[in-house]
Amino acid sequence: MEHIRTPKVEQVRLLDRFSSKSTNGTLYLTATHLIFVESSSNNSTSAGQEIWILHHHIASVEKLSLTTTGCPLVIQCRNFRMVQFVVQRERDCHDIYSSLLRLLRPVCYEELYAFSYNPKQNDQQREEGWQLIDLGAEFERMGVPCDQWQLTDVNRDYKVCETYPRDLYVPITASKPIIVGSSKFRSKGRFPVLTYFYQEKKAAVCRCSQPLSGFSARCLEDESLLQAISKANHNSRFVYVMDTRPKLNALANRAAGKGYENEDNYSNIRFQFVGIENIHVMRTSLQKLLEVIGTRPLSMSDYLVGLESSGWLRHIKAVVDAAIFLTKAVTVEGVSVLVHCSDGWDRTAQVCSLGSLLMDPYYRTIKGFMVLIEKDWISFGHKFADRCDQLDGDPKEVSPIFTQFLECVWQLTEQFPQAFEFSEWFLLQIHEHVHSCQYGNFLGNNQRQREELQLRERTHSLWAFLMSEKQNYLNPFYSPAYSEAHPVLEPSTLPYHFKFWRNMYHQFDRSMHPRQSILKTILTLRENSQKAESTLQALETRLQQLGVTPVATSDPPAAPPTRIQRSNSNTLPPRPDSLILGAPINHKEVQRHEEEDEQEEVGEEAMESTDTERTVEGSSGTDSRKQSYGELEGTYNSDVAKEEPAVVSLEFGVARMTC
Amino acid sequence: MEKQAGAADGAGPNRNPWGSPTNGSGAGDAGDSPTGSHVEWCKQLIAATISSQISGSVQPDFVNRDNKNLSALRYGAQVKMFQNQVPLLPGETINTTVKDVMYICPFSGLLNGTLTITDYKLYFTSVEKESHFVLDVNLGVISRLETISVPNQGENTKGLELVCKDMRSPRFAYKTDESQPDIVEVLNKHAFPLSHSLPLFAFLYKEQFPVDGWKVFDAAAEYRRQGLPNESWTISKINSTYELCDTYPSILVIPTNITDDDIKRVALFRAKHRIPVLSWIHPESQATIVRCSQPLVGPSDRRCKEDEHFLQIIMDANAQSHKLTIFDARQSSVAITNKAKDGGYESESFYSNVELNFLEIPNIHVMRESLRKMKDVVYPTIDEAHWHSAIDQTHWLEYIRLLLAGAAKIADKLESGKTSVVVHCSDGWDRTAQLTSLAMLMLDSYYRTLRGFQVLVEKEWISFGHKFSARVGHGDENHANSERSPLFIQFIDCVWQMSRQFPAAFEFNELFLITVLDHLYSCLFGTFLYNSEQERMAKEVQAKTVSLWSYINSQPEDFTNPFYVDYENHVLYPLVSSRHLELWTSYYARWNPRMRPQVPVHQTLKEMLILRAELQRRVEELQREASSHSLSSSSEHSPSPTHTTGTPLHTAV
Repeated sequence: MEHIRTPKVEQVRLLDRFSSKSTNGTLYLTATHLIFVESSSNNSTSAGQEIWILHHHIASVEKLSLTTTGCPLVIQCRNFRMVQFVVQRERDCHDIYSSLLRLLRPVCYEELYAFSYNPKQNDQQREEGWQLIDLGAEFERMGVPCDQWQLTDVNRDYKVCETYPRDLYVPITASKPIIVGSSKFRSKGRFPVLTYFYQEKKAAVCRCSQPLSGFSARCLEDESLLQAISKANHNSRFVYVMDTRPKLNALANRAAGKGYENEDNYSNIRFQFVGIENIHVMRTSLQKLLEVIGTRPLSMSDYLVGLESSGWLRHIKAVVDAAIFLTKAVTVEGVSVLVHCSDGWDRTAQVCSLGSLLMDPYYRTIKGFMVLIEKDWISFGHKFADRCDQLDGDPKEVSPIFTQFLECVWQLTEQFPQAFEFSEWFLLQIHEHVHSCQYGNFLGNNQRQREELQLRERTHSLWAFLMSEKQNYLNPFYSPAYSEAHPVLEPSTLPYHFKFWRNMYHQFDRSMHPRQSILKTILTLRENSQKAESTLQALETRLQQLGVTPVATSDPPAAPPTRIQRSNSNTLPPRPDSLILGAPINHKEVQRHEEEDEQEEVGEEAMESTDTERTVEGSSGTDSRKQSYGELEGTYNSDVAKEEPAVVSLEFGVARMTC
Repeated sequence: MEKQAGAADGAGPNRNPWGSPTNGSGAGDAGDSPTGSHVEWCKQLIAATISSQISGSVQPDFVNRDNKNLSALRYGAQVKMFQNQVPLLPGETINTTVKDVMYICPFSGLLNGTLTITDYKLYFTSVEKESHFVLDVNLGVISRLETISVPNQGENTKGLELVCKDMRSPRFAYKTDESQPDIVEVLNKHAFPLSHSLPLFAFLYKEQFPVDGWKVFDAAAEYRRQGLPNESWTISKINSTYELCDTYPSILVIPTNITDDDIKRVALFRAKHRIPVLSWIHPESQATIVRCSQPLVGPSDRRCKEDEHFLQIIMDANAQSHKLTIFDARQSSVAITNKAKDGGYESESFYSNVELNFLEIPNIHVMRESLRKMKDVVYPTIDEAHWHSAIDQTHWLEYIRLLLAGAAKIADKLESGKTSVVVHCSDGWDRTAQLTSLAMLMLDSYYRTLRGFQVLVEKEWISFGHKFSARVGHGDENHANSERSPLFIQFIDCVWQMSRQFPAAFEFNELFLITVLDHLYSCLFGTFLYNSEQERMAKEVQAKTVSLWSYINSQPEDFTNPFYVDYENHVLYPLVSSRHLELWTSYYARWNPRMRPQVPVHQTLKEMLILRAELQRRVEELQREASSHSLSSSSEHSPSPTHTTGTPLHTAV
């Protein structure tokens, strides 16, 4: 590749972010990845640790000034990985630095990884992958079209609104002239359309952008479109119009000829500000949060005050509050709601999707969550390319809006552990790939652009990949019975229910991980149960071969987990090599790191290693560890992990390059 | 924004956040009745939460609490029902019943009802608004009674606030009436029985439990478990009459080769005669945790040859190391000022091969103030906008962090450094108890079991004279006493923090920890009464009261952590970084009705464990059968593969 000046640099040190430890290794630069391979000379048992960093994940590269030990290179990633290398020779460092600078800022879509990524699928498989999510079917599931809502072809050629999808659902009474008239009165032509239909009460969740009302402008078509939305719901004589912006922002927009609906002009609306801050506030807030948690010696006080002053959790709460308001209005009052912000693709997407998630248990399943993202985010034109900085664009357009949405969902999973089919790991994986540009789903800003790029022909779909690994993302606590009993979630928004998402922001900082994970315990337990079951079956078969009827009948004991086990009668696929679920522990170097971190935490001088049989949970580096971990990890790590050495070297399932 | 916030927590115009007071504050406040109802309360709280999530307007079908109570009480047969259905414990008598009392609920307004005061609890019931409301506060938890002004309720109405030790302050308004006895007077008498020459309720309580909790702790047996006595350490009866040290237990473990005279001289050199004694010994390295009080060095740097020799022997008892580390829990500046008050610390130049570390933990007064601030933060309302900075202002988590870090240092010194440690603070009964017990919890998996934890508390706290009576102020009206301090709560909080980080390492669950804390105050059980073993012997506590462990161990399944795996011989080092410590809201903020505990995932786990046990049983059954058949028929498929999959079930999880 023409941009790579030095493909390989040896004798590079990788510094740990939260301790003074470092690892030596070799740095490789490929067309898609920056790879650090730890040299295995100082450790005889296992191959060195490997870190694969996708170029698209790199948010910034910084070359610090030369020190006595070498030239430091600091790399910050969008998935919150932060690494610091020290390269011995300044020239090498500069080569890598300038290569990366070029590589991490692709100028056109065709340079993105998705266009070169090939998971060895044929065209038919790829086609099937793209057909996995069908929004038409999703609207049918909601009960649309129906006697009040219909599919309109007004946007078939993206003529009315180029950032909307082709297929849109509007009230049956809304004629084409009304729609077109309304779209001219709405910012970016994003007129009110249906996004979720609550069948039980016939209440609709609609979305749009702000009206171009200025100080006094009106639009009769827009007014009658809102009227039509209201009329489509017989349960209520009015609609809520939720402006998700703070009132001050909406007022300021009026001076620019935009603004918000005037209750006097629209009959039967109830107008409401919600007060979620804009993308710039969110970007700064997350930056502050990352600064706080990135500090090495972080005192309790700095942490708590920093967490609060970053405002991040407050913003999360604001989004959840808005979603709760929406949910209450629709499910309790049975009123249709129209949601908008400025352009109707950031805050509106957050509130509509989170509200739907609270209302409809389907969206809390793995498939349903994919559908939700496809519908409210991808198809309705959340500007992924701009917000995630896929191409070298305007830094002011970059903002963690989608990350924020995922975090809101995570906070809900913490409150309702039984309500979600997927685990945290699923959310992290989606976040990973929103930024990886490895799959076509999130490329571009809207559907029209995606069609122009022919993504369905030239790239693969993330949903198919995630679906094929579904077993890895299951939440062991999920209970469909719970969802049936609680179709609508009512989260609490007390401040202490909003927690710092350690596994997202410290995903790659091993020393920050908890020592024991319930998720891991449960997964091991389930694997064991499954093994027991298959042993049971094998034994029964043998008995039958021997011509004996088993004493116990073969119906399994009645307990909820059987449902899960039924669905995957075969053994589980290998557990992903995630740090959170516990990376293969047979890695000695890593253990030593942990131990040393621990000592630093403890604040003691270095101690000679021990050879007793006692084991130090989460921190011992001695060989006795092997045995105990074998026990702890159950049969999993000893059996399955070894079978899959290739997976071990990859983090977070970023597939190995094929070119 | 206001309007939405209201809608968001479900407080619409015609329904209050929790649907009805019964499942709201009723479930929330009614938790203090003892025995089974405590567990039941937690279950109710969870049930209320779940039903409130179905749909806000649905009135959860809430069974009359008293009936539930009956079924919940395992030993419910003894519960007698009196007027107005006040459930009474065996031995409990009603003192007064006052009608037309108003409970000023901070969450749902005024409630009119009947207040009953027994010699154990205060029981308020209301039947307003068709829903049954119960507030049940045991008197032991009351710290002080305060009169408050009640506007707009007529002239002869008085207000009363019960400031409680467990982070809440219920308020009442009542009419002063010649015909009715004065509530304050009755409450005063029974909430603070010791100040009125009355017995504590623990001495009146007549419950019979199938398990005797007093048998949980036997010092000799515990030392035997640790492998003591051995050639270096002996179990001494020198303090059997509490003559040597009146705050120490009768059984002490001291080095073998030291004479009684030397010990007596050492006792004179240590504050309150609390000489260095063994708390725990490492099963392999023989490194020990030794606890004591500060040396009486004084401003003139006094020396005591016997004390120096004593520490030398302790060091020599551990062949693996030629050093001894002293952890002084105090702030170094405080330790220095203590010299002026005839106290002080060991000088490294007088004690050879001794290393002195200060752990910089502030004293009991600082801790008391910290928890007081915490109460302001969590009760009755929470300032949503400044939650984190308000928590920061209390410094509570900072102190938790200091304690855990200190204990981890001690544990690490023993485990990795194989060096014996001596831990002391000033008197060696507050911070010392916290540190030694936490370090032992990290080092010894036995203490992480339900039974072992009881032994740990009995040993390091109760028998070694943590002044529970003074620190908690059982039955004493002097609420401003500067001796009071939440040291034990801090310890339990640390345990909770550890159990969060190692969810599978502790046999007991959160409910157990909360129950222990609730009965720290309740005076229902004799376990935490009085300051020292000597006092307890004099008052015949074991003969005349019931042990908390009797109650706990009679229904262990309620207090067992389903995630528990016996991590035998594992040393747990908790992470003490600020990112890993969190406020224990399910204890501190539990009176807030908006506090919703999470959906009980442990139920899922329990079911899985049952399933696993069932599968395991059947595998074994079939194996047996298969092997019996394969004996007759030739078998190359020996049942060994099933063994390999069958056995890890035990060890893996």
